[in-house]
Amino acid sequence: MADDTHIRAEELLPWYATGRLDAADHALVEAHLACCAGCRQQLTAERALIDRFQALTPDIDNGWARLRGRLETRPSFAARVSETLTEAWQLLTRPVIAGLATAQVAFVAIAGVFLQSAAQPAYVALGATPIAGSANIIVMFKPDAREADLRGALQASGGALVGGPTEADAYLIHVAANARPAALEKLQANRNVTLAQPVDGPAE
Amino acid sequence: MRFSGAVRRPQSDERRSGGLNEGELLARVRARDMEAFERLYRIYQPRLARFLFNLVQRPQLVEEVLDDTMMVVWQTADSFRGGSKLSTWIFAIAYRKAIKARSRWPDPVEDDPYDTRVSDDLTPEEDLGHQRLHDALQMAMAGLSADHRAVVDLTYFHGMGYREIADIMKCPVDTVKTRMFHARRRLKDAMSGSLEDWL
Repeated sequence: MADDTHIRAEELLPWYATGRLDAADHALVEAHLACCAGCRQQLTAERALIDRFQALTPDIDNGWARLRGRLETRPSFAARVSETLTEAWQLLTRPVIAGLATAQVAFVAIAGVFLQSAAQPAYVALGATPIAGSANIIVMFKPDAREADLRGALQASGGALVGGPTEADAYLIHVAANARPAALEKLQANRNVTLAQPVDGPAE
Repeated sequence: MRFSGAVRRPQSDERRSGGLNEGELLARVRARDMEAFERLYRIYQPRLARFLFNLVQRPQLVEEVLDDTMMVVWQTADSFRGGSKLSTWIFAIAYRKAIKARSRWPDPVEDDPYDTRVSDDLTPEEDLGHQRLHDALQMAMAGLSADHRAVVDLTYFHGMGYREIADIMKCPVDTVKTRMFHARRRLKDAMSGSLEDWL
């Protein structure tokens, strides 16, 4: 039993010397040290070793400039935004996607006409906005924005989510053309939004 | 009778952090603030350089692994949820990167791994004595396995507890204690004679 305590205390000596033991282990070592001359001698040697060890200094220069260089070889934020806009535009104008989108809009339109003629009374609500099929705003959020933040920002802008997240974590939304300036303003003022730009064509 | 007395911590990081705590710095890094990332780098670079030097023992590999580690910190800062200390998370990344790098360079080199400059205040005899002790310690460390060197360095220099070391090395706490126990034995054996000179 005494041997067991001795071994446990001996194992813990380095952290006793650096002051990193929890209360129980600290008490165990302290009690053992009071009655073990060998461990007291070891503790003295331990502290000397730590002092010497801390005096060894690797000769490594500061490499911030090197790391910064590596970070900057990645595309800049502006370049990534430009790339995202281009990708988004290419996605929207890709023949297959465009064909599918057109077919979807056509289906919605035909189904809408059919349903209207079959079930609706013969009047049309003033101001009713048809659902558009194409995005006209691209928006990016801060990495730590929560799902509720995204939803809140989209609702406040009055936009409808059309696509995303893209590979660059961008979202494509649609708003009525005449409401777009106001929607953009709201999105750009939102603290969780890092980018909100109109999408009318490939980025310059 | 009390025997405790913590060793001095390496140095204060307050100046390097610009008065921000690490949590605030990391929040800014998440928002892609390059200046905050530079501050974080300057806090961790000396610690990581030393830790990695002990692990990989090749200057060119230290730079590579240190840069890779900080690139991961920059790219995945969002994934750190605060379940551990920031230092534990960063050192764990560095440890994994170092082990991976070592698998490409299995044999330690004989390069002089430490700057062994000593104080100008020492007499030539003392200077020689210190130089000899430093050499002995350096050689003794080089004779340990990478995992043993890591445990010794994290304990003696970085002042970490065994639980934190276990988190970094992804191993049981008892394994950390056992590694440290054997590492100390080997250091003692390798430095027999020299250690008594210090006391």
